Amino acid sequence: MGRREVQASRFAVTRVTARRLGMRYSLPMASSSQPSCFRCELRPDRVFCDLPAEALQAFDTIKTVTPYARGTTLFQEGRQPRGVFVLCDGRAKLSICSEHGKRLMLRVAGPGEVLGLSSTLSGRPHEVTAEILDTCQVVFVKRRELLKFLREHREACLQVVHLLSGDLHSAYERVRSIGLSRTRRSRTQVRTARA
Amino acid sequence: MLSPYGLDIIESCFTCKLRADRIFCDLPAAALQSFEAIKYATAYPKGAVLFVEGQAPRGVFVLCKGRVKLSISSSDGKTLILKIAEAGEVLGLSATVSGKPYELTAETIDPCQVNFVKREDFLRFLREHSDACFRVAEQLSEKYNSACHEIRSLGLSHSAAEKLAKLLLEWSSKNGEAQKQEPRLKLALTHEEIAQMIGTSRETVTRLFAELRKRQIVQAKGSTLLIRNKAALRALASS
Repeated sequence: MGRREVQASRFAVTRVTARRLGMRYSLPMASSSQPSCFRCELRPDRVFCDLPAEALQAFDTIKTVTPYARGTTLFQEGRQPRGVFVLCDGRAKLSICSEHGKRLMLRVAGPGEVLGLSSTLSGRPHEVTAEILDTCQVVFVKRRELLKFLREHREACLQVVHLLSGDLHSAYERVRSIGLSRTRRSRTQVRTARA
Repeated sequence: MLSPYGLDIIESCFTCKLRADRIFCDLPAAALQSFEAIKYATAYPKGAVLFVEGQAPRGVFVLCKGRVKLSISSSDGKTLILKIAEAGEVLGLSATVSGKPYELTAETIDPCQVNFVKREDFLRFLREHSDACFRVAEQLSEKYNSACHEIRSLGLSHSAAEKLAKLLLEWSSKNGEAQKQEPRLKLALTHEEIAQMIGTSRETVTRLFAELRKRQIVQAKGSTLLIRNKAALRALASS
């Protein structure tokens, strides 16, 4: 192979990688570029997002939309809550950890879920760790602004109450499956019976 | 007024002296007025069941006085106590809001005064009063936090000794005993109930208590427990 050919192939490689990188970085924005919640097509199906126009307008002004890469930790247990995260698309893994580093996976949160809600409202440290599973877009709202928003918009507050009730239900289900079935086999049986 | 069980029944929330300290009860006057109209003040003896898991939600119970045991049980009769609810808590909240069956069983362990509110009334009340709605959200957050705490202690602990040590440390940090070198705590529960709290058997709890006494970590006088060696208990909790 001549020198020129080698150089050409090198250029080709860099060009291909560059294109791939570009694709990867533009993906989150390209798949769902929705800076305003008004233009979001997914909104009607979401429990939290389906707010009346007036509340949505207020929500638009306090939120920040950020694309997150896969594997990013949104918040860690034991840390003071900064605010809530709303998953626009993609999933996040919720887990808790013991002092010895043993980890227990709680559940996988799907699109449209609001994460860090309970600790943000109560002002206590986070109880769980949330880690992004797919590269996706996440809406962040600061604690103080969220509290003000909830006080001003009754509908949003009701949605939050509904969401928290749902979370609590799944937590109690988990307590039941861990605490009342001693053997590993009966735990998997419960899980398969439910699925 | 002389009443059964030595409870003085508080008929109106307006005259309640304890209201200011309670998360849910401390409502603005307008909300309190409409809460007055929809609540039923009732008294329950010790051992009464407020609601059973699997039952369709009838409404919420605001605990004014006394304590209530919240537990879940499996189909083969095993029971796990999640929490001892104290005065001021609202019970049956998540089931009432979501309309799903109650996920816990609530049983009084003291004579209690309870304010009951029907489901339809409560949901209407929440829609009309955003302050109350906010309080409910706070209560739910607290409950969610304690459920996560329970999952952590059940799912990530190695041994029953570790779980018992954690429970004793948690209890000793209440009632202003946390700063003391040798905190004193009153065991309000039987060994059976403690076993149900940490997911083990009554025999194990009795054996563990005997071991703790033998190693001079705790000292028992009737139902009062004196923690003599807090460091050793801590070491046990993180072993």
